[in-house]
Amino acid sequence: MDKILINKHIIESNAFVNSADNLKGSGKYLLGIAAADERSLNSKFGIRYFFGGNNGIDEYSVKVDESFQSISKVCPAAKMYEREIYDLFGLTPDGHPDLRPLMLYPENWNSSVHPLRKDYNNSIPEMKRYGEYKFKKVLGEGIFEVLVGPVHAGIIEPGHFRFSLAGEPVLQLEIRHFWKHRGIEKVCEGKDFKEALDLVAKISGDNNVNITISYLEAVESILNLEITERAKYIRVILAELERIWNYVRDVAWIFMDIGFALPAQSLFALQEELMKLNKSLTGHRFLFNALTVGGVNFNLDSSKLKAIDNMINKVEKNIKECEAFIVNSSTVLDRLEFTGKINKKTAEELSLCGISARASGLPRDSRIEFPYLIYDKFDLKPALLESGDVFARTALRIKEIYVSKKIIGDLLFNLPEGDIAVAYENRTEAYKYAAGNSETPRGNAFFYVMADNDGKIFRLKYIDPSFRIWPSIQYGVLGNIIADFPLINKSLNLSYSGNDM
Amino acid sequence: MGFLSKLLFKNKTQSIVSGNSDSVLIKGDELKRSVDEVFGRSLFVRLVDGGSCNACENELAALSNPYYDLERFGIKFVASPKHADVIMVTGCITRNMLNPLLKTYENIPAPKFVITAGDCPETGGPFKDSYSVCGPVSKYLTVAMNIKGCPPEPEAIISGFLKFMDMLKTS
Repeated sequence: MDKILINKHIIESNAFVNSADNLKGSGKYLLGIAAADERSLNSKFGIRYFFGGNNGIDEYSVKVDESFQSISKVCPAAKMYEREIYDLFGLTPDGHPDLRPLMLYPENWNSSVHPLRKDYNNSIPEMKRYGEYKFKKVLGEGIFEVLVGPVHAGIIEPGHFRFSLAGEPVLQLEIRHFWKHRGIEKVCEGKDFKEALDLVAKISGDNNVNITISYLEAVESILNLEITERAKYIRVILAELERIWNYVRDVAWIFMDIGFALPAQSLFALQEELMKLNKSLTGHRFLFNALTVGGVNFNLDSSKLKAIDNMINKVEKNIKECEAFIVNSSTVLDRLEFTGKINKKTAEELSLCGISARASGLPRDSRIEFPYLIYDKFDLKPALLESGDVFARTALRIKEIYVSKKIIGDLLFNLPEGDIAVAYENRTEAYKYAAGNSETPRGNAFFYVMADNDGKIFRLKYIDPSFRIWPSIQYGVLGNIIADFPLINKSLNLSYSGNDM
Repeated sequence: MGFLSKLLFKNKTQSIVSGNSDSVLIKGDELKRSVDEVFGRSLFVRLVDGGSCNACENELAALSNPYYDLERFGIKFVASPKHADVIMVTGCITRNMLNPLLKTYENIPAPKFVITAGDCPETGGPFKDSYSVCGPVSKYLTVAMNIKGCPPEPEAIISGFLKFMDMLKTS
């Protein structure tokens, strides 16, 4: 399988607003926007827009000085990317409707310091208040606010949610994220491809295999490296195992949040068994460090294959029982149906991906749209539901566990012989770049990696599915009662760390 | 056996005791005795994630699955810092999370203890050189104990709690 094909176009900034509109009309959707400080190359900043669609990925690149034309008004999904570029690079998106700081908080960061510029001198502003973050207010009689987080009641990552309510129904939800902004993209710069693996795995620990696959797609494409068939098979097996344990956990949390502890605990136990299987396969419960540049770090012998086979059969059996439970219980359906509905139109405008898109009727699955590794060998069809509610997202996860089980089952006893990793020379052309993508349990993970002439990373941009999907919750909760928010949140189960980076 | 009856009558927590002297339950029994002795039967923990990769949170959540069921040993993760004896910290401590972390700590009534879980809060992990990371935790708070691991496995966390109790008893 060839690396994903990217159709490259060079554009003038001002013309792009119109073409972005046309693109959307032609069924293409925004995958991400990546900026890079290329002033050492051509004394300009490069901004690259990536659009996905039926014919692969289109890249539109534009060279800019200190500002560029915002496309947020025609393409709302661009809003967050443009705010991010404004924060980290200090480039102004002209015409952007909302330029509040995103990850560099005015509470502790001086807004004139832009850490992703190459001339940033590593000076870190003193820890003091530089400004105020303004939340959107809903005004009117009887309207009150409920503030949640950043530190939450349970064992959850930090994020701030601000509800405006009149009685029980939610009138507005505003999310403030990026509490966990760790500056991973900057830390990766100057590291070689192998060193960065450790950081890439820790973008979002529970999706690390799939995210690493996306990173390696980009890196191996820069290095012109073709890995062995066996390594590809093992990567896919691990990716699908990760998908299964993620989905089992997600469904368990749905039950937990509707107060149905019995099936929830049964699924948590199943998750634990899957983690133990991971440990027995690679020595790590989350499969950290299982993949490497040029292949994988460990082999699957017949006893391990047998263990995987037993486990996935067990998962299928348990999940079937669980599924019957959902469909036959009116109290479960009562909580799940019509809750947290995300319309197809909203999903389209926000360029959603993964389960969230498929539950709202958009057939987006990177394994099918932009196949990588050996996914083109399976005749995969996107699992689709139209209703866009919590029920749809739960039911889709259950459906897709069967799909993953079938993929693993097909591969297990057909593993081709061969080495698990190939040697490579860490040499790159200066400013050569490539994109990589993969379908994580949450959706499309997109990497854009640019090398320097020394085999090191010049610029790395990662777009997590959670980054795209988080804004959609603000629409999903409208009109729902606040008590259903945890359930709606869990039905999307997004990563805070992947979003915040 | 029907789905419900299987859930009710197949007890997963007991099935891992046999033969393994290092098992969760045996560690847990010791832990329960220590918690009873030192904290009058219950140790309440408030978690603050200061910038982890979420693997640590997954492992902490796993502590309440049927295999480990931490609450039977008297240890409970609580919603409010006002209820807590211990603040457990994960992650590398980002600039944005420093203030919430310190505020949460302030709101825990004394005597209070800081336990870190994972390598990041102890050293900053791979993120330590980042512009937006200001950890490790020990720069700001006195840390009673570090539970190592990336992420620490559930059994390591249970052992960690046990070690923490021993420390309190001897000091």
